[in-house]
This record gives sequence, structure tokens and C-alpha cells, in this order.
Amino acid sequence: MIFIVLAGFITSFLAPLLYRLLGRYVYVPMVLLPLAIFVCLCSFLPEVLAGQYVQQEYVWVSSLNINLQFYLDGLALFFALLISGFGTLVMLYAKGYLDDHPLLGRFYLYLTLFMTAMLGLVMSDNIFSLFVFWELTSISSYLLIGFKHKNETSRTSAWQALLVTGGGGLALMGGLILLGIGNNSYTLSDILVNNGFISHNLYLPALILILLGCFTKSAQFPFHFWLPNAMEAPTPVSAYLHSATMVKAGIYLLARLSPLLGGSEVWQYTLLLVGGVTAVMGALLALQKTDVKAILAYTTISALGLLVTMIGLNSELALEGMLVFLLAHALYKGTLFMVAGAVDHSTGTREVQELYGLGRQMKPVAIAATLAGLSMAGLLPFLGFIGKELLYEAALEDPAKELLAFAVTFIAGSVFACIATLVGYRLFWSKSTNSSPVKHAPGAMLYLPPLLLGTAGLAFGLWPELLATPILHRAAQSITGNTELLLELTLWHGFTLVLGLSLLTLLVGLLLYRFLPRLHQFAPALEAIYTYGPNNLYHKGIAGFLNSSRKFIGWLQNGYLRSYVATIVLTFSGLVLYTTFRNKPELALAEYASLLKNTELYEIIIMILMVAGLIFLMNTRSRLTSIVVMGLVGYSAALFYILFGAPDVAATQLLIETLTVVIFVLLLHKLPAFTYLSHVGHKYKYIFVSVIFGATMTYVLLFTQQHAVGSPLKDYYGQASYLEAHGRNIVNVILVDFRGLDTLGEITVLAIAALGIVGLLRLNPEKGGKR
Amino acid sequence: MKTIILSTAIRLLTPLFQVFSIYILLRGHNHPGGGFIGGLIGAIAFVFDTLANGHESTEKTFFTLKVYQQPRKSGISYLQHYLQFIRMNIQRKKEAGQLDVQQQYCIQLRPVYLMALGLFIATISGTISLLLQQPFMTSQWPEFHIPVLGSPGTPLLFDLGVYLLVMGIILKIVFTLAKE
Repeated sequence: MIFIVLAGFITSFLAPLLYRLLGRYVYVPMVLLPLAIFVCLCSFLPEVLAGQYVQQEYVWVSSLNINLQFYLDGLALFFALLISGFGTLVMLYAKGYLDDHPLLGRFYLYLTLFMTAMLGLVMSDNIFSLFVFWELTSISSYLLIGFKHKNETSRTSAWQALLVTGGGGLALMGGLILLGIGNNSYTLSDILVNNGFISHNLYLPALILILLGCFTKSAQFPFHFWLPNAMEAPTPVSAYLHSATMVKAGIYLLARLSPLLGGSEVWQYTLLLVGGVTAVMGALLALQKTDVKAILAYTTISALGLLVTMIGLNSELALEGMLVFLLAHALYKGTLFMVAGAVDHSTGTREVQELYGLGRQMKPVAIAATLAGLSMAGLLPFLGFIGKELLYEAALEDPAKELLAFAVTFIAGSVFACIATLVGYRLFWSKSTNSSPVKHAPGAMLYLPPLLLGTAGLAFGLWPELLATPILHRAAQSITGNTELLLELTLWHGFTLVLGLSLLTLLVGLLLYRFLPRLHQFAPALEAIYTYGPNNLYHKGIAGFLNSSRKFIGWLQNGYLRSYVATIVLTFSGLVLYTTFRNKPELALAEYASLLKNTELYEIIIMILMVAGLIFLMNTRSRLTSIVVMGLVGYSAALFYILFGAPDVAATQLLIETLTVVIFVLLLHKLPAFTYLSHVGHKYKYIFVSVIFGATMTYVLLFTQQHAVGSPLKDYYGQASYLEAHGRNIVNVILVDFRGLDTLGEITVLAIAALGIVGLLRLNPEKGGKR
Repeated sequence: MKTIILSTAIRLLTPLFQVFSIYILLRGHNHPGGGFIGGLIGAIAFVFDTLANGHESTEKTFFTLKVYQQPRKSGISYLQHYLQFIRMNIQRKKEAGQLDVQQQYCIQLRPVYLMALGLFIATISGTISLLLQQPFMTSQWPEFHIPVLGSPGTPLLFDLGVYLLVMGIILKIVFTLAKE
């Protein structure tokens, strides 16, 4: 399986190169790759269908349990086949859609990268590799949404999708790590065998974090808003990422973890509630939109909500229904997105009010749309019908949650039927004169993939035992962990209650369709509600965040060196004083008082020199004088170092003082004349800050001397520096040998700082440089 | 600040300062000194030169090497040509007058190159131990002794890197300041 992932990554990064080599025929290798992966995955089919699983492991950081582990069971293989099979068609469709786009190579790079990441995600067995692939799908989704990067809305939407799903990804990582800690293993297949996690202390935090990750990824309320905005992406992307695969990653993870996390009431009711609200809200919003892609996006949200609801029901029947509906949804929704793209491509509009009766001009597309529409509405020989039947059965199974689950399924199902009629019938077969003209008929690459997918929906419905049952059966088994679970799909169940409900759904759907124009008229009246919707809250939040950080930076980084120094010094003193105030350590000042008697005359002289210099410094009005006096103070300090036996420090101090004076002198003639512009009070403010800092430092020094920590380090360095490092100057040996790595880091920082200083000096704002 | 006394004195003293700075660098392992202090001393010497003579003069005198070149005449073997090339560059003053301006090349050592070289040497000194399959920056001490240096181990190489880097940084800043 590592070869699949590796081949995907390598090919994706080769795509721009291939584009340069092959020109527009770049699509040939890019289509062949997912096809090859699909075939390769099919070779695992016999093993998996026999009820076994495939496991592969590549050790990386085994001490941290970060390994590349793959695990292919029914569920993973089902998803992997869906991703690679769908990928093949989308790659072909992308060529038809983007045609001669100059960035076709880059597009294929992103798309293949996404496909590989998604495959890695569903096959991962290690939670860290799962997380890495998860984030990789978010990143590639960001790149794909922002593909039309010259468009501002594209950029905003891409950024929004990245922030929402990436933020959820971080929460997911926290949750997964908690899961790992709680179960003492970072391998998913090991974790899933553990049954007692529900009563663990970490269960609730882990659950909340994981749900956050899954809900953001799968566009559940209140995080759904990024998905409709993500429709800015080119249509192949919408069909692939934002309806069939990426948004199902959250569903995949929920299903995967349901034996471990499921069963508690929190799990059930959260999923039921969030999924239900999402399903109903998505359905209602879909009725109000007039853009085909927006309609499809909202029905996708609704379908995702329905899937989450089914996982929340937590019965085996519900999980089976979830899987069948997931497959059916991927098939018809992908088709419809591709159809919408083809219509957009040949008419230049996506507004439903401008599109009528296109069937005659684009027959293959119309047939695909009709097939998908029939499946979406849940008509008899299609997979969508079986999916809906199962959903109803599952919803009615548990009397406690019957009403909620049924209502959600019913509302979503009716709206699906209505939308299906709109997209599958009105767009293509209704007769009207005011339709947008078809500029050019869609090419084969635009209609073949949706046609294939639509036919697949029919074929899966006609022969469910043959095509869908075996793999879905194993997938259901791997979700529930129950190896005796049987999943058998049949098209015809007989005249049951469920069939009646199905028919009722259709009727309500048709009724809704009848009143759709009136609903569209009402839609603008509801705009007021959306001002407080999550999308606007998001934008307000981002704007507020940027604004406040701008203000904060403006306050903190105000460009005055003096206030930087004051801030640093005050923060440091404050922290030290707080610690001393809290711990109240003893400091015997009397001992030091007796030491004062030993003071030598020359020490007093240097001291007087320094103090006099400082007092003079505060009142002088000449820059040159202040620099010279500062030098005097510095040299006196160096003298102290020499007197107390630190020649290395003294030498450094002397040289630095010299350099400071020289650099000041170099700069001096460029500065304007020395004048006091600010209030005199400021001077005393800074004097006060300096005195506080000096006092703090004195206190700390006295204190550390009195409470010296006995450490073997001094003796160790004393011996080792001569015996092992062959040097008698301990300071230097520590710098270049014992702590050489630190020094290396410091000199690197020094070099970078110097480059920064030179850059600042070169800016030269007066001569028209950039400020 | 251009006075003849200062500029003459500095011109004479700068090489002396440089020798002293290298001495400080080399003794650092056993006595007070080391790469940082040595680099500061070396840099200060050049900075004084800049103060006395201006930065163009410093760069021209200490950091630029002029190379004279002649196209190879037919009938002269490559070996002979290169020998001639070397001789020409060593006895440059005598022949400089006879050469075209176009055939001069300037090799300039910029302070940034010093910085980069210093960082490079310091990093390389750490990687030597990697080749011997020991952890990064394990110091290596060769067996032989050089009369003045003692045993030239990798810490000395590291110190040399620090020396060059510190010198490069200060010169870069001072030259940029002096340029304006």
C-alpha cells in the first residue's frame, strides 16, 4: 500500500513537468494513475471479501509511536475504491472542463495530491499518519478552492475553508492523542478492540475534540458555512472533494471510531441533534437558492447531516443504511455536479431561472442528469431507492428516537426529490422559450464521466446483490466489529410501510417543486436572518481579530527604542519582584554590611567616577558628551571585572564599549540637533524605570550569592575541560566545546540580526526608499 | 576626522592589530581570549582604519585583490602561460604600467562573505565528527602537534568560524553606516 501512496505523491509532483512535456495530453498519465490504483486496490478484494484484512507497517519514530501503518479492511477498501474510481472519472472530466487552461499541470498536481492524501487517510492505521493525511486533504482543498487565485472571493473562500477545517484538524489531533493515551496505543486497529474506553476519564474530552474535527470537515452545523463558499472551486473539484470524498472523511472517521466512542448518550444525542439540524437546515436552504452549484452544495450538507444522524442512531441497521446511502449519494451527487459544470461550461450560467429545456442540445448530459436525478429522488430501480428504504427502516427501528430520525429523513428526502426534479427534469426536458442559449455542445470528456457515474447508480440498483453487497457487507462488519452481521441488499421489499413512506416523500417532493418559484420569491425576505448566521459571524470574527491584533501591534511595536527597552525591563523586574514577593526568601543584609569594611580605596574612586558620570549624563545636552560619558561608565565597569578576576568578560566589555562609541560617532553627524521635545516628566519616568531595574538586579545578585546552589557542575567542568577538552580556559572551552551547539545557534542568530540591521540601514526612507 | 598623523599611524598599526587578534584567537583555549574577542579586536582595527581613511580606502587596501591577466599567446604552452600569470601577479608593481585596464580583475572580499564563511566553518567543524560516526559536534583532536598552535582540534576550527563571523558582522554594519 505504501507504493500506492508513494506513486500518488510522486506523480502529483511530476504533473507540472509532464504538462510541459506533453502539453494538453497531460491528462493521459493523470487519468491512468487513479485507474492503476483502482486496479491495484481491486487485487486486495478477494482477501478482504473473505473477511480478512491487510496490514503493513513502516517504522519511523517508534519511540514516539509515530509510524507509517496501513490497514485495509472492508470499510477502508470501500472508501479507497470509491476515491480511486471516482478519481479516474474526475481526472478525465477535469481535462474536459479546464481544457486549455495554462495552469492545467498545477491543477492536476493539487488534485492528485488530494487523492493520494485521501487514500492515505482511509488506509492509515496509525493516528499520527491519519492526522497528517487529514491535514494534507485540508491543504490540498485550500489550494484547489483558491485555484482561480486572481478572484478575491476564491481566495477568501479558500482561506475560510482552510481555517475551519484546519482548526478542526487541530482539535482532532488533540482528541486522537487523548485517545492514544487513554487506550495506551497509537495504532487504530489496536485501539478499536478496546471496549472499556467509554468509562475512561479521558472519554469526554477526547470525544468532544474528535467530534469537532469531524464536524468541521464534514460541514456540520454550525461549521457548514465553508462548504457553499467552497463552490468557488472549479467544478471537478466540487464534484470530487466537496461532495463525494473529502467531506466524507469526517463520516469515515466517525464510522471508524463508532465501536470505540459510540454507545454513550453524549455520542448518540450529539450526533442525532447536530446531524438532524444540519440535514433539515441544509434542505431548507437548498430550496431558497437559485444557483445550481449552491443548491447542490446545500443538499450535500443535508445529506452529510443525514449520514451523521444515522451514525448517531448507532444500530446495525442504521449503519448499513448509512453505507448504502453514502455510496448512492456519492454516485448521484458527483454526477449532478459534473452535469452542472457541463451546463455552466456550455451556456455560461448556473442560474436555474435562466435554464430550461437544454435536453435537445446536450442529450448525453441530459441523460446522465436524469439518471442521477431519479436516483436522488429515490425511484425504484436505482440505488438511491434502496438507500432511502434502509434509512426509513433504520429511523423507524428505535421507538425512542423514532420521531426525530423520521422527521429528519422525511424532510431531507422530500427536498431531495424536489431538487432532483428541478435538476434532472426542468433543466433539460421542460419546454420554455426564455432559456439561455447553448453556446457549444459539451465534449465527450464532459459528458462521459457523469454518464458513466449515472449508469453506475442504475446498475448498482438493479443488481445490488452482485455489485454492492459483498464490499458493503464487509464494510458494515468492520464498522460494527460484529463478524456475524449480514448485509443483504434487495431492490424489492414488498408492499411495506416503508414503501408507502417512500411514495409519500416523492409526493411531497413534487408538491414542493410545484411551489418552488414562490419559495424563490420569498427567499430575499429571509436574508435578515443570515446576518447572524455562522458565515457572517466568521467574517466578523476574522475582521475583529485582525483589527485588534493590528491595534495591539501598533501599541506594542511603536517604533520607539526607548519604549521597547522600558517594556522589556519592566516586565522582567515585575516578574522577579512578583516571585520574590510570593516566596519571601530570606536575605541577610547584615552579612553584606560587614563586607563593606573591606572596600579598597581604588574601588571607591572608580565608584565615585561612575556615579558622577551618570549624574552628569542626565543633565548634559550634547550627544558627543553623553557618548563619551557612557564610554567612561562602561570602561569603569570593565575595570571592576578585571579587579574581580574575570579577564574574559573584561576584555569583551572593553571591546564592546569601544565599538559602541565608534558606531555612535559614525552616526552622530546624521542626527538632528539635540532638543527636548517631550515633557521633562518623561525623563524622570525613565530614570525611575532604570532605578527599578538596577535595584532588582542588585537584589537578585545578592540573593543568588547567599543561596548558592551546590552543584557538581563546577567541578565537572573544571576537570573535564582540561582532561577531555584539552583546554585550560574553562569559559572558552564551555563556549566552543561543551555548549558548542548553543554557540552555533547564537552566531547564526547574530548573522541573521546583522543582515536585518543592514537591511534596515539600507531602507533610507528620506531618499524615497520604502518605509 | 582625517588627520595625517592618525591615518599614517593606523595604516602601520592595522597589520599589527591583525596579528594580535589572531594571537588572541589562538590562545583562547588555554588563556583569556578566543574567537569572539579576537574577532572584535580584528574588526576594531579595520574600523579605526575606516575612521581615519574612509571606508573606500579600507575596502581597497585590505579587502580587494587585483589580478592581472593576459590572453594566452599562441605558441606558448598552458604551463608556461600560467607560470607567467603567477609571476605577473607577484611582481605586479613593475608590470602594472604596461598592462591594459581591461585585463585587470578585482577580487573583493565582502564582509558578508566573511560572515558566510565563518558560519560555514563553524558548522563544518561540527560535522567532521559525523563522518566518524559520532554525534554532531563531538570534538576531534588529531595526534600531531604544530609548534605554535598545539594540537589543532575541531574546537579551534569552530573558534575560527566565530572569529570570521564576528569580524564580518561588525565590518558589514560599520561599512554600511559609513557609506551613507
